[in-house]
Amino acid sequence: MESKRLSKLPEKVIIPLKQHKGMPCVPMVKKGDSVVIGQKIGDCKDNNDSSVHSSVCGEVLSIEMAPHPEGNKVLSVIIKTIESDQTVEFTPTKDPSPHDLIELIKNSGIVEHYGVPTQSVLKPDGKNINTVLINATSSEWIGGKFSTPEEYGTQMLEALKLLMKAAGASKGAIVLRSDDAESIAAFSGIRFEGKQLEVAPLIGSRKIGYYLKDQGSDIVVVSQKRIYGKRILNFFTYNVTGKKVPVGCTPADVGVAICGVKSAKALYDAVYQGKPYYETVISLEGLAHCPPQVLVRIGTPFKDVIEACGGYPSESGKLIANGMRTGVAQYTDEVPVTKTTTRISFQKPEDVSKDEAIACIHCAACVDVCPVELVPSRLAVLADQGRFDECRKMHIENCIECGKCAVICPSKIHILQLIRYAKDAVEMAYEDIPAKESSNLKLGCACGGE
Amino acid sequence: MTFTISAPPHRKSKITFKTIMWSKVLALVPVSLVSVYFFGLPALSIILAGILAAVVTEAGIQKMFRHKITINDGNAVLIGLMLSLIMPPEAPIWLPVVGSFFAISIGKHAFGGIGSYVFNPVLAAWIFISSAWPQLMTPLSIPHVGQLSDFLLENGAGLLVDVSPIALIGGVYLIYKRYVEWKVPLAFFLTMVLFPQTLNVLFAAVELVRAGVLNPLMYLSLMFKFLEISNELSYSMIGVVFFGILFIATDTPTSPVTKRGRLIYGIVCGILVSIYGYFGNYMAGIFYGLFMANCVSSFIETTTLPAAFGSEGMIGKFYRRFMDKVPSSLKMGVLSND
Repeated sequence: MESKRLSKLPEKVIIPLKQHKGMPCVPMVKKGDSVVIGQKIGDCKDNNDSSVHSSVCGEVLSIEMAPHPEGNKVLSVIIKTIESDQTVEFTPTKDPSPHDLIELIKNSGIVEHYGVPTQSVLKPDGKNINTVLINATSSEWIGGKFSTPEEYGTQMLEALKLLMKAAGASKGAIVLRSDDAESIAAFSGIRFEGKQLEVAPLIGSRKIGYYLKDQGSDIVVVSQKRIYGKRILNFFTYNVTGKKVPVGCTPADVGVAICGVKSAKALYDAVYQGKPYYETVISLEGLAHCPPQVLVRIGTPFKDVIEACGGYPSESGKLIANGMRTGVAQYTDEVPVTKTTTRISFQKPEDVSKDEAIACIHCAACVDVCPVELVPSRLAVLADQGRFDECRKMHIENCIECGKCAVICPSKIHILQLIRYAKDAVEMAYEDIPAKESSNLKLGCACGGE
Repeated sequence: MTFTISAPPHRKSKITFKTIMWSKVLALVPVSLVSVYFFGLPALSIILAGILAAVVTEAGIQKMFRHKITINDGNAVLIGLMLSLIMPPEAPIWLPVVGSFFAISIGKHAFGGIGSYVFNPVLAAWIFISSAWPQLMTPLSIPHVGQLSDFLLENGAGLLVDVSPIALIGGVYLIYKRYVEWKVPLAFFLTMVLFPQTLNVLFAAVELVRAGVLNPLMYLSLMFKFLEISNELSYSMIGVVFFGILFIATDTPTSPVTKRGRLIYGIVCGILVSIYGYFGNYMAGIFYGLFMANCVSSFIETTTLPAAFGSEGMIGKFYRRFMDKVPSSLKMGVLSND
């Protein structure tokens, strides 16, 4: 089912010039300029940035610092919209070379859902990619931009081939969720390169390497349990390929690139339709009349999305960008939908959790749910006391920030928050870990007292 | 429009410390009722006195030290109830009062309150009162499982909790509902069963050696000894042992948190209790054994901290070392090309 476009055109859109991890783009328009759909308004300087396009027709009101769903204020282009469907001319690319593809990705502004521009995932500086994975384990896709499951399947496979071509990779895999019968059915039905596709489960030591050999092809479709969290890439790589990513490295160091369904689809559209990345599908939760998914222009303020979907169900509450487990609670609804927004959730005041943390009772519930074999209760205590070295000895870097420990904790300790605090401290204190680009935390001295 | 801001996760599970404590209390209600039915009013007065003393002590201590008063969370009620249940019905009414006072003030709060104590307060208090007033704490009879109906109602019950092992089924339900974790009680129970069976086999083997038997088939047939239910089990499968397995050993602050550590802790509990019970009796043995196991639980925890995910276990390391020594010409299988 194709998801509906948001019924009402917002009065103004706020397009942040930084929708990726890296430096903000250079604005290409100035106050008073008129823009059309698809026009490039922010240019990127180097490989790690991604350009930004206008999603509406209208007039640039201002270029100023505006709230961003990640929590900080970011330089944004604010455009007053006019009712028009005028677009720049979209030209499909025929038979692109790898270099063309990389340039196309860069100019179309395609960004992964975790914030890294796709071209730097596929062609990282000084590293070679030999395997491209499409992570389809999150649930936001099928109602997205696809009209039938077959279309989803074939387009994903085409997109995977494009991604592999762009990266110069020889192998590729699409990873589905094992309890997602709908998408498994979508892939099992299609014939690809003269063969009936089969969705293979990842069990034990049977990783994609086994299936690539077994099926004798370069592309496999596999399924696994759902993994979520803010920093799942290394764990995901290990789970799917069996390659262990060393601490402080990225999957690119072992030759793996991980893309999302959204960016794969965006690349497909960019190649075959010439469209840049200016629209995205987001899921909605907790609103008065909310459809499960809606197609939104990037830059639409949350307020307009919510109004178009029936408004707030209550006077106060919690507005969350990107899901209940890892999302960021918003202090204003003037924040725009960005390329990394996947979901808008709203919690009524009675659903907002207001538990008070008490002492840890060592019930080991967090140890049992942790997907990466940590001891979260102990890490939380060590982080609380500032013993970050000991945290590191207990492999705190492996944490994928899924938040399961904080969810299950009967003492309602803020384990995830404490672990993130310690992780930030560890990342700042050790030289062998590359500096993280953005952090909302301001730490004092990492070696004890402040 | 006002928005609440907080860190993720934004939705948490409904199970809290309070619900766990009260559900444990609830799981002990059936056995309390059976004991009141069996022993009459003395049992009821012991239980009420124990609970009341525990709650009053907790409130008093927290008031005195200007802490937040937490009698609502059910922990004090649980400690009082558990302590009363391991008293003989002949005990004078001041005994559970003194015991509960000791459990809460010394066992729990002197060690730093919930989550920090080294020894289970109930065990600590039991050891205190049974060494201070041994004649009052010695039960008149020691139960012995002779027939299956003894699981339903034990006529030889010496302690309140002995009256009916089956009434402790609530503890199993808590494990099933994941309010209580399963590794410690399972490992504990299995060790309690396997230990006497293994002894059975060992003794039979020693006997054969003594008799000078050389026929290997005779030794092989010892296997069947393992399946014969040993006499020891009829002494060990009593109410207070099940109480220890389901309620004392699973007390979370005094058991390790690591996955392997909990299994080891359960086995250690089982071995210690079996040794005590074998040479003494299981009624005292369960408490002394668990008390000793509490001593080593933090040691078990620190030595079983898990390695990073994806790292090899001991068997994998050994296999790798072995395979590295083997020359490649002897290796079977296809060499991978990447």
